[in-house]
Formats: sequence, structure tokens, C-alpha cells
Amino acid sequence: MKFLTLAARNFKEIYRDPLALAFLLAFPLLFMLLFGFAVGGTSSPVYNVGVLDRDETELSGRFVNEVLAEVPSLNVSTFEDAESAAEKLKNGNIRAFVNIPEGFGGEVLKSYQNQSPDIVLNLTYDESDVSVSSQIYSTIDAAVREFAEVHIPVTINTSHLSVEAEVTQMDFVAPGIIIFGLLILVPTSARLMVKDKEAGYMSRLLTTPTRPWEFISGYSLALVVIAIVQIIIFIMLGVAFGMNIVGNIFLAFLVYFVAGLCSIGIGMVVAALSKSENQAEPLCWLIAMPLAVLSGVWFPQEIMPDFIQVLGDIFPFSHAVSASRMIIIRGADFGAVSSSIIFITAWAAGAFMLGIALFRHKMKG
Amino acid sequence: MPEHRSSREADKSLAVQTFDLGRSFGSLIAVDCLNIDIKQGELFALLGPNGSGKTTTINMLCCLLKPTRGTANVMGLDINREAHSVKALIGISPQDTTLSEHLSPLENLELMARLNNMEAKKARKYSADLVEVMGLQERAKDQVRRFSGGMKRRLSIAMSLISDPAVVFLDEPTLGLDPQARRALWDYIGNLKGEKTILLTTHYMEEADYLADRIGIIDAGKIAALGTAMELKAEVVDRQTVVINAWNLTVASLDAIKGRYPEVKVNGGQVSVAGKDLDFKEITDFVHSTGAIIRSAYFKEPSLEEAYLKITGKELVA
Ligand SMILES: Nc1ncnc2c1ncn2[C@@H]1O[C@H](COP(=O)(O)OP(=O)(O)O)[C@@H](O)[C@H]1O
Ligand SMILES: [Mg+2]
Repeated sequence: MKFLTLAARNFKEIYRDPLALAFLLAFPLLFMLLFGFAVGGTSSPVYNVGVLDRDETELSGRFVNEVLAEVPSLNVSTFEDAESAAEKLKNGNIRAFVNIPEGFGGEVLKSYQNQSPDIVLNLTYDESDVSVSSQIYSTIDAAVREFAEVHIPVTINTSHLSVEAEVTQMDFVAPGIIIFGLLILVPTSARLMVKDKEAGYMSRLLTTPTRPWEFISGYSLALVVIAIVQIIIFIMLGVAFGMNIVGNIFLAFLVYFVAGLCSIGIGMVVAALSKSENQAEPLCWLIAMPLAVLSGVWFPQEIMPDFIQVLGDIFPFSHAVSASRMIIIRGADFGAVSSSIIFITAWAAGAFMLGIALFRHKMKG
Repeated sequence: MPEHRSSREADKSLAVQTFDLGRSFGSLIAVDCLNIDIKQGELFALLGPNGSGKTTTINMLCCLLKPTRGTANVMGLDINREAHSVKALIGISPQDTTLSEHLSPLENLELMARLNNMEAKKARKYSADLVEVMGLQERAKDQVRRFSGGMKRRLSIAMSLISDPAVVFLDEPTLGLDPQARRALWDYIGNLKGEKTILLTTHYMEEADYLADRIGIIDAGKIAALGTAMELKAEVVDRQTVVINAWNLTVASLDAIKGRYPEVKVNGGQVSVAGKDLDFKEITDFVHSTGAIIRSAYFKEPSLEEAYLKITGKELVA
């Protein structure tokens, strides 16, 4: 269990260096706060939304007039047919429209009578504006759940949900920013090992009978602890800024965790290749920054050209961004994101194996 | 790498044996075809100026650096093919004292012990013992980053010994220390003699003279001479130096002295005349005749310094 001894040492080196530790946590935090103030908080925009009531029951009427009409971020107009609504949507007069199908009232009534309902709403929205659509989606989702007093989602079948009517843009932005925070782990990870190389301390460690995998895991494990702390702080901060987690928070954590492993693994690869911080640092940013853009951390991937999207999807972080958004905004369950999680985990494993191979190669002098 | 064995026979009883060991960096030959034997329990000093290849040699023997030619055995194990096993038998105090700065001496020692496969309990005990031996017990639980250079060096040496290694490599163990700290370290290293095989590098003549059983003088990657301090000095035993301290050493008198004797060195009010079969009286009389007033004059014993000078053709500047 030598790697545990090594990990303990590395962790002590981090947490006993208050400045480094502060930087480690403060830097991504600063980004988070900046984005939090920039997009979250007070100024909530109002969106035009169309409603088509096919159900025409008392309950559906009440839903439209008493609930949707009262949501501050929605400006509701009613339509008589789908075609005119689609027309308005295309013209950009409305951002989305809600089609309340027949039977809606009946299902809501079931819910009131404590029977399990199967409430369906059809939402059509403008594909090009993912950020806005997701918010409208969440808002309407929350509104109908509150109205029907159900704790299950309306069009996506997941369980365990909190009902919150207020939705901010943070719902969309925060999951991406968290991934950005985790991308910063690439330079952080590389730095931890390269610092020891540059100081010559690594040479000292290398004269002990310690295997490459023990070195890589000894450094990574300390960073995993950091990653876990970061993710918890990020999620808490996101929530503080109004991120509404519809899905399972632990599932979201899992996605972030494996994404963090990827960052650490990539950091280890860079560390294995570099002799000094001066070599490692630019290389890390050269990797992390384009990845942040490609992965849709700040801007939705959907607005980028196709080939950029394809390029981004080669890497794990775009999968982490979309999976975490699906969980946080849409309440996606494990089944819906499992392939992403597997992909990201495989990537992390690959990065670590490459790191170990490179470390072994370099350690032979 | 092609299997390379020099004509030398491998002798498994030796602690360290090198076979045409060499390392180049590009076109620079840092270590050139080194053949040395270090017996078990011996303290062997590699003495040479900066850049002569001492650290490169140690790094190869510690399996940190691949030789570009030849190989070596450490405790009978090949450094190229059995690196992992070699590492289990050695301890090193690198030239640059690198410690885990935010750990205490105890933690630093325990970490090295654990990485050398020592079990936790034993590691703790050994560390506590060594901290005491090295006189660091009062600061045993402080972070080492605020330690003085001497304390760090002592800890670094303790770290090379913590795993009870068969062979210890000390790369310039007293580099940059004040004379008092150096002296203290000499005493400590001296105490290890006979118990451990030690390969020490230094560019301090007195250090090699004081500590080493045998000295290898290394220059430009080559061993220029090898033997005990006595043996090396014997090379210059027929060489003598007459040192004269005098007043009134004028340019004219110095010119006269330099004109008469082939090897003259002047240092302030001191004139040294070196050579074979010197006649003490003849020299002092001559210096006196130039008008200088002699305060004192004496014969100097051949020193390692002179031996070094003769062997390498240059002075070793510390
Ligand atoms: N990694 C390296 N790359 C290039 N040259 C090196 C390297 N390490 C050492 N050298 C060169 O090899 C020579 C011997 O260096 P070194 O073994 O450190 O000498 P010493 O320890 O005796 O001062 C020097 O000329 C040095 O510049
Ligand atoms: Mg050196």
C-alpha cells in the first residue's frame, strides 16, 4: 500500500500549504462566482410562450390561466391551433409552445385523488437556443408539477423531485461551469507532480523501489480528494446561485467525479512528459482551454459547427457537460446517462494508463 | 542496448563494480568509461571539480540515469537489468537537498522508509531513532521548510540511511555548509565507516582526505588516479615545497627568485618554491641575498592538494 503512503504525503503537502490550497479552491471558485453574478441572481428574463389547450377541461384552464400565466418568467399567449403557434415560433415571436393534450385534466384529477397519474405535456421549442429552452422547460415542468401536486416529472420519467417554480439561467450555466472548474484540475494535477520533479524530490523518490503505477496513483489519489471537495463546493455554490437540481444529485456527482478523474489523468500524462512547471503549465492550458470551449462549458455545443461538435465529442468533457445538464435540468436517470458515464470512465482509465506508461518510460533516464 | 561487458571479471563480493560505465549528453561525454571497485564497508570518495561527472556517476549507480555505455553492479545486481532490486538496497542523499518541505523530519523519514518497503511500526521506530542521532529531535515535528541548510543536510543524509541500505550514496554531503556544520557532518559520516559501504562525492580535498578509505580523482569524466590518500600523496612524495614568509620582497628580488627556481609561487609576503631535492639552506640564503628579510621558513609536507595538482595538471578550486 505504498501508494497510500505517497498519497498521504502529497495530500499533506497540499493542505499544509495554505496559499496553494487557497489558490486551488479559490481560482475555480472565483470563476463560479463571476458567472454566478453574471448570469444568475436577480435579473430573470421573461420569455414569450404559447399555449394550446387541447384538453379544454376546467383543470387545464386553471393550469393555463392561474398557474402558467402567473409564472413571472413567462409571458403566456393562447393559441387555437398548432400551425399558427408553430408559425409564431419560427418567427421568433414565441420561444416555445406548450400543447396540453386531451386527458390532461383527468390525469391531474387522478393525482389529486392520490392515484398515480400519467401527465403528458408536449413542449415545442426553438432548437437553436438551448439555454432558453431548457429554462422554459424547467419552468413549465416545475409549474405543472406544483399544480398537479405530483412529485414525478411530467414528460421524463424519473422519481424524487423537488418542486420549485423559480428557475434561473444558472440551471443551464452551472453544470458547464462546474466542468470548467474540473478542467482546471489538469494544470493543478500536473503541477503537483512536476513541482517535485523540478525540485529534484522526484529523483529521490525514484531511488526507492516504487513502481510507476504506485507513483501515478500516489499523486492522483491526493488530487481525487481535492476533486471531491471541489465538486461539493461547486454544487453548493451552484445551488446558492439558484441552480435547481431536478435529477439525482448523487448521479450528477458521479458524472462530475469521473470527469474529474479524466482531468487528473490528463494532468498525470502532462506531468509524466514535463520536466519543469514552465513546460507543464502552458501545455496544460493549451489542453484545458480548447477543451472547455469544445465541450460547451460556456456556450452550448449546439450552436457550434458540426465538425467542432464532432471534435468535442471525442473528448470526455462534452459528454460530462451534457450528461450533467440532463440530470440537473431534466432529471435524467442513470439509464439515460450511463453510456456517457462509461465513456468518460474509459477515457479516465486510458489517461491513467498512458500516464503510467510514460512515467515508466521517462523514469529509466 | 547491446550487452556490454568489459574484460573485467564480475566480482559479486564487491559492493559496487563498474564496467566501462559511461554517459554522454549529446556530444558531451560526462562520464567516460569508468572502472571502479568499491569493497563492502568501504568509504570511497570521488574527488573532482564541478562538472567532472560525479553526480552523473551517482545517478547511474542509483538507476536514475541510463548509462550510454557499459554497466555496473551494485551488490552484485546489474543496474540496467535489475534496477528495481538495486533500488531496494541503496540509499541516496542527492546533491540538491530535496525534502518534502511541508512534512516534519519524522514524516520525511517515515515516508522514505515506507517507500523502501519497511513496515509501518519499524519505520516509525527507525525514524525516531535517526532523528535523535542526527540531533533533530527538538524540531522533530516541525515542518522542514524553515530548517537551516545544515539541518536539512543532516536530515537528507538520515533519509539515505533510514532503510538500512547496503550501499549509501552521498553526493557532495557538505556542499554549501559552514565549517562548523561541515565538521559535525564529517564526524557523523566518520562514525558510519565500516558499517556501511559509502560512495561519497566531493570537491573538497580535506573532506576526501579526512573521510575516505580510498579516493578516486575524477576529472572530465575520467578517473585520473585512484588510491588511499597516502598512496596519492606518495605520487608527490619526492616533491617538496619550501615556504618562506618575508618582508621587503621587492619586484627585483622576486624576479631574481623566479629566475633561479623553476617553480615559484608568490602570495603576498609569502614565496613558495617547489621542486625535487630542494636545499633548504641554499634557498633561504638566496632569498636573503636578494634583500628580503626572512621572518620564517619551513618545509611543507606533500599534500593531497599537490598530488591533485600533479595528477590533473590543474588546481581544484573549492
Ligand atoms: N542532464 C544533463 N544534460 C546535459 N548535460 C548534463 C546533464 N547532466 C550533467 N551534464 C553535464 O555533464 C557534466 C558532468 O556533470 P555532473 O555529473 O553533474 O558533474 P559533477 O557532479 O562532478 O559536478 C557537466 O558538464 C554537466 O554540464
Ligand atoms: Mg555534482
